[in-house]
Amino acid sequence: MEGTAPADEFIPAGLASLGIEADEVDLAVIGAVHQLLWPPILELLALDTEGVVPERCPDLSKAPE
Amino acid sequence: MTTPLDLGLRAQAAAVAAGDVEPGELLDATLTRLEERNPALNAVVETFPERSREMLAAAPEGPLRGVPVVIKDEWPLPWRAQRFGAAELMAPTAPGESGPYRALRDAGAVIVGVGNMHELGAGSTGNVSVYGPARNPWDTERCPGGSSSGPAASVAGRLVAAAVGADGLGSVRFPAAYCGLTGLKPTFGRSAMEGHHMAPVTSLIVSGPLCADAGDCRLLGSVLYGEQLGAGDAAGLRIGIVRDPVSEDVTPEVGAACEAAIEALRAETGGEVREIALPDLEAATLAAILIINSESMGGVTPERLNRLDPELSPIARGTLKYRMMLPATATVQSSRVRTLMRRRLATLFEQVDVIAWPTVPAPAPPLDAPMVELPSGVNTADQANVRGAALANLTGIPSISMPVGLSSEGLPLALQLQAAWGGDELLLDAAEALERANGRRWVESLPPLAEASPTEV
Repeated sequence: MEGTAPADEFIPAGLASLGIEADEVDLAVIGAVHQLLWPPILELLALDTEGVVPERCPDLSKAPE
Repeated sequence: MTTPLDLGLRAQAAAVAAGDVEPGELLDATLTRLEERNPALNAVVETFPERSREMLAAAPEGPLRGVPVVIKDEWPLPWRAQRFGAAELMAPTAPGESGPYRALRDAGAVIVGVGNMHELGAGSTGNVSVYGPARNPWDTERCPGGSSSGPAASVAGRLVAAAVGADGLGSVRFPAAYCGLTGLKPTFGRSAMEGHHMAPVTSLIVSGPLCADAGDCRLLGSVLYGEQLGAGDAAGLRIGIVRDPVSEDVTPEVGAACEAAIEALRAETGGEVREIALPDLEAATLAAILIINSESMGGVTPERLNRLDPELSPIARGTLKYRMMLPATATVQSSRVRTLMRRRLATLFEQVDVIAWPTVPAPAPPLDAPMVELPSGVNTADQANVRGAALANLTGIPSISMPVGLSSEGLPLALQLQAAWGGDELLLDAAEALERANGRRWVESLPPLAEASPTEV
């Protein structure tokens, strides 16, 4: 699956760079979550939102301006 | 024989107000019922009879005077800090007067117990909790839904007539759906949130009522909102439906029940059904997940993650560590998707009054294997459920889940309606219209557990 192949490098490298310790169980869970989330994250990043001007401090109780 | 314990919230409040039920006796009977029924449900994780009696003794003449309610383990009480269903939270907590506590107290309600919840609010099933899983009164081997698992199970099991939950990615609506209740996710910012450990940072979580029907949600909602939620008739309701996996990748029973309910609602209101397009729902779901993940990690350091409480579940431990590695660019993109979806919804709500789709794609799964079988294949309940709920949290709009049938296995099926910002009252009106249309059949259905051995008052 696209995006999951580098997980073997991404996860240990990411954890190490942040100084986060992880045992085998942690790594198994992190790997499963990564496999689930990473492909849609890549799709999200590829979504064309160039024309979307984000709301500044949106008031979520109301419709957008 | 019906006892006051089996009455809904409005009826209990009216019976106390009229002097037909003595509130001290109602409280004692509620505590007795909790002792009888809670062991099978694990819905309520702590009671405090003396505190409850003190609340009753001091109760003002409010709309809920003397009525016992349950509150989710998500807010502090003056005598108890919230545990968020977990061995450890990522934010400091302490006992105190939360917004929902003050709202209930000022309305005269009596908090009789704390409701179980999915660990850290991070699941739609309720099968993981530091207290052990809550169980579904319709089938105690099934998930009650999460994360407001205990509040829902306590109302569905008729331990109490109403409970306060919280909804950050569907956490009121999922358990309402699984337990056959009506659950309201308010417009962001309308309901009491003070004292919640994420209140200063969240842009998704709201408190919300879980009750037997829409009228009871209107009553408890009015208390939580601090304003009267007025009633209308939803006449001429324009119902938008979306031809998308969120409404089509569902079990045949869910699809049929929701289609029938939408048609019944249209007929009852003299309204119309319009097919609408709402693209990028999957992106919206992920955006909501990423935003709430980011908000939940504020102030959490790598060092903190290296000394997590060993009693946290392995899923929580791994997930918390993974959240630390999520790219910031994805969260920024999520904010753009939020804007995109808010603008699309603003346009859509000029064409329709509500958007309807199933609350969850399948009824409550087994506690020991929370998976669902859908036309697209077998999936985790969490992954399948969130796609129907996250839009409301991402954009701030209100949403309601209501029961619309029972599966062949006797499990509740549910429809969700979403309205424009501030349309909470309209959702309640629409839910009441649907109740009229189906003769209140589903809101008055009781699980076998709740039909047994009525406790006398």
